[in-house]
Amino acid sequence: MLMSMDKELLQIIGVTLRMSFFSTLISCLLGMPLGVLLGKSSFKGKGTIIKLTGTFMGLPPVVAGLIVYMLFSKNGILGSLDILFTVEVMVIAQCMLIVPVVINLTHSITSVNSACLIETAKGLNFSKGKTAILMLTENKTALFSVVLSAFGRSIAEVGAVSLVGGNIQWKTRVMTTAIMLETNKGNFSFALALGIILLLISFTVNIIASFAVKEDKQ
Amino acid sequence: MIKLQNIKKIYGERTVLNIDGLSFTKGETVAIVGPNGSGKSTLLKIIAGVIKSDEGTVETNSRMYYLPQQNIPFRKSVRKNILISMENADDKEIRCNEILAELGLANLADKNAKGLSGGECQRLALGRVLINEGDFLVLDEPSSAADIEGTEMIENAIRKYKDKTGCGVIMTTHSPVQALKLAERVIMLCDGKIVEDGRPEELLINPKTQWGKKFISKWKL
Repeated sequence: MLMSMDKELLQIIGVTLRMSFFSTLISCLLGMPLGVLLGKSSFKGKGTIIKLTGTFMGLPPVVAGLIVYMLFSKNGILGSLDILFTVEVMVIAQCMLIVPVVINLTHSITSVNSACLIETAKGLNFSKGKTAILMLTENKTALFSVVLSAFGRSIAEVGAVSLVGGNIQWKTRVMTTAIMLETNKGNFSFALALGIILLLISFTVNIIASFAVKEDKQ
Repeated sequence: MIKLQNIKKIYGERTVLNIDGLSFTKGETVAIVGPNGSGKSTLLKIIAGVIKSDEGTVETNSRMYYLPQQNIPFRKSVRKNILISMENADDKEIRCNEILAELGLANLADKNAKGLSGGECQRLALGRVLINEGDFLVLDEPSSAADIEGTEMIENAIRKYKDKTGCGVIMTTHSPVQALKLAERVIMLCDGKIVEDGRPEELLINPKTQWGKKFISKWKL
């Protein structure tokens, strides 16, 4: 089955990659600047925000899925958008799970050497924007691992995406939900094949990442 | 001109800085000396605007460049470390090469700055400051990690920069030799307070306070 790569399998892989890519991208775009901000500034309520993001890191996927489901269902506040059971809403549900992870990890990374960096940047009269870019570039190896964590969480997630995506064949079925379905049907070989592909994708992403980190260290 | 008035900085229950009045004029080189924890670095940070004092004011309209005690090389080549720190100028590359040569970093220009030794790192950090033109250089122990040769390069570079720009230099140091060699004025700090402020030769011969006398007696010149 793996060798033949039937159409449905390719479609499931495509949806999975599309969803994981956008979930990771959006989560990093939202979470990293906030994490840097938390890492480099001190303000009232900062501790509470950090504790909150820490708490949301442990948000059960089904709960996130349920919240997003209620928001986007016909009677929900955002029901008029009519995007329930689409890849878009699956990305939204995943972002709810991944953004706190990205914020928290980015904050931990940038707060370690932020004081020294900020002092240096202030001493050289760098603008706030230049300082923020410096913080990101100086920590890019560590931040790369945040991107990997976000991608890992996204590609392996099943609870939220099955709730809001509905695991619809040829539409919102991703590898994790397909594995669950095929296992329930007793179609273990197909489930296992999907599992192997899932692992291969993760492995490939990690290999690419390790090359990028190696390049950076040289 | 930089004018400090009634400056107080408190960390927890400890007052680390308590200065009634202090001013610096463009063109003068001032060395701030004193034992560890006397408030030297805190004073420099307040002057440079890196931290705020809890009380008092710093009046200035001078452009300052500050070199912190802890130097982080940016994750770039030595050359790019200098170039990124430079404000817009037409002769960027020429000036960068001059600074690199002056600080003995020319042969390391294309190496990753993360691989530099402590002393080289310190020279690079100074290079990032000297590439710009300011009214004041605020330097926190600019040669603490450098060897004899490195210290000489750093001192020469500071002198040359000052001669070229006419800027003021405010620096902390634990080296009395350096203070006497570079500075026209020495300020002694003890427990956050100024105990001596004058020309180096005056302080050497006739310190005003007992504490000053005791401190100078420990200097190995």
